Amino acid sequence: MSDKYKLKKWQELAPGGVITEGGNAADYETGTWRTWRPVWCEDDCIHCLTCWVFCPEGAFLLKDGQTAGGKPRKEIEEIDYFHCKGCGLCVRECPVNKQGKKQAIEFVREET
Amino acid sequence: MSEYFEVRWHGRGGQGTVTGAKSLAEAVQGTGKFVSAFPDYGPERRGAPVRAFDRFADKRIRVHIPVREPNVIMIVDPTLIGTKALVEGVSDETVFVVNTEKDAGETKQALGLTGQTLYTVPANSISYRLFKREIPNSAMMGAFARACPQIISLEALVRESERAFAHLLAKDLVAKNLDAIRCGYEEVKSA
Amino acid sequence: MPTTKAITGNGAMAQAMRQINPDVVAAFPITPSTQIIEDFAEFVADGEVNTELITVESEHSAMSACIGASAAGGRVMTATSANGLALMWEMLYIAASMRQPVLMSVVNRALSAPINIHCDHNDSMGARDAGWIQIYAENNQEAYDNMIMAPAIAEHMDVRLPLMVCLDGFIISHSIETMELEDDQKVRDFIGQYQGQNTLLDNEHPVTWGALGLHDYYIEFKRGQQMAIQNAKAVIQDVSERFGQQFGRKYDLFESYRLDDAERVIVAINSVAGEIKEVVDALRDEGEKVGLLKIRVFRPFPYAEIAEALKDVKVITVLDRSTSMGAYGPLFGEIRTALYDANPRPLIYNRTFGLGGRELFPDDIREVFAESKRYLESGKIEKLFDFLNVRGG
Repeated sequence: MSDKYKLKKWQELAPGGVITEGGNAADYETGTWRTWRPVWCEDDCIHCLTCWVFCPEGAFLLKDGQTAGGKPRKEIEEIDYFHCKGCGLCVRECPVNKQGKKQAIEFVREET
Repeated sequence: MSEYFEVRWHGRGGQGTVTGAKSLAEAVQGTGKFVSAFPDYGPERRGAPVRAFDRFADKRIRVHIPVREPNVIMIVDPTLIGTKALVEGVSDETVFVVNTEKDAGETKQALGLTGQTLYTVPANSISYRLFKREIPNSAMMGAFARACPQIISLEALVRESERAFAHLLAKDLVAKNLDAIRCGYEEVKSA
Repeated sequence: MPTTKAITGNGAMAQAMRQINPDVVAAFPITPSTQIIEDFAEFVADGEVNTELITVESEHSAMSACIGASAAGGRVMTATSANGLALMWEMLYIAASMRQPVLMSVVNRALSAPINIHCDHNDSMGARDAGWIQIYAENNQEAYDNMIMAPAIAEHMDVRLPLMVCLDGFIISHSIETMELEDDQKVRDFIGQYQGQNTLLDNEHPVTWGALGLHDYYIEFKRGQQMAIQNAKAVIQDVSERFGQQFGRKYDLFESYRLDDAERVIVAINSVAGEIKEVVDALRDEGEKVGLLKIRVFRPFPYAEIAEALKDVKVITVLDRSTSMGAYGPLFGEIRTALYDANPRPLIYNRTFGLGGRELFPDDIREVFAESKRYLESGKIEKLFDFLNVRGG
């Protein structure tokens, strides 16, 4: 965690607890909470973005891509492990995983 | 509290007793005196006995308590005569102003008074004549000026009431109320 | 030029609100404060103010709307009494903790049961720990003056806290008294323009109000809030000084009435001070060394200043017009704390009076001073805590 989130003294706090910067949850590292890690398997991913919808931490990062027919679409780029807290929602909701033949997101135990 | 001139009004809920006390205070304030006026809120129902108070002084008035030894008692509703509250704290110097058609001597007797000065004013008749209903306040104020010229003269009362009423009432009603004040002043009888 | 007027306490508060011309007023009617908002609604309807008047469905909503409007950047006012103030309870704390300088007239009235519409101070005393600045008023003039001073105090950058001006229900709120209404422009110049901080409607700078603060932060916020209300003391003195220069009426944290050389003193709040002053004058004429200390600012409580003012007094009677059930009166607790370190320590005792509008007549006050005279002579207090003017003793 950056110095910015070092616990402050009372004199340093904004009156009334107002938070003056939007979206600062992005600075908060929830990646340290993981005991299990989702691993994205690019070859089997169909880029339906269900994982991106369900992820409570916004940890699926997107990039611009194309369908087989050449139409523009968003595609998964990678998992952001600074924010991924290992809840496993993506693993459960992935339609490829649900078919049971292949796994587009594997869930593996964090190494200790 | 001898440096205060104190008035106690007795009426019934709905008769405008509180408004009478407040209107009188506003008029007296206009003459440069310090004033206070306040009601004694009990059960706020039409017909229930109501008291209201005035204090007048040449200095800032600091007390807020109900008047217990009034200089003047204003009886807006004569049907209250006979209730003990009307004569509480009365001394020989207390002056009574009673809204009644009856004879002043008879009224004095009904109140059980001896040496005190009592004025009667047929405020209901005056009000009925002018407004076609009973709103005795303005006539009572006129009678007060007659009873207590040391507090306010008729001229000052009419002038200051006109100023105060102008904010509240339509022009014809202002004129009628000023008439009621004058009639109240004129039609006072004493004993 | 000020106008001399005979006007009710509620009317005076409405006039102060008209002159302040707040951006938003959100209120719900309750006796005896209703007339303040009724009068103010007329000013809104007549176009004499630019205020958005929100008629809400409860006092809880009133205070919620006030907090929201204040966080949005507006100067915000309201008024209430008794059960209405009680219904605002959780929002009172939120207004203070979020440091929103909401201004409120509290017309003091007894809390039910039995249902009672008359004056005592249990409503505002119960709210004393909510973080609001509390300023009390003896009469119509003081209530009005306090409200004129309120914006400059509450909105000061060292403070930024909500403020309630408390006045006695009926005794003041419904009494016509002669008072000075100051000139509109002069009042507006005195209070100045309001500058909201980190306001919700500033789209260029989005902010979050009302976030979570747990055991890692909550106490730091409370520490800061305590500092802010302590800062209010000096700000109140400054603003009162400036008010005195501008309008000629002098105010301080409390009023010392004939305290010089006083041996026996009553400490009291609000309208009863008027009756006490009359009795003090009468007893002084009879050669008795008596005086009055009238509380004006109850929160923040001026401990050191009061200790200094009472340091040579021998017997102090603290009159509480409220009850802290199962404890001594709230004012007594503060006064006794203020004087714990005094050397020699005066005799201090507590009398509860006036609950639900029970009058305290000058004769009753004379009796209080007669009792304190006995204590002065004997050197000891017979009864530390008692009720005045109650049947059954």
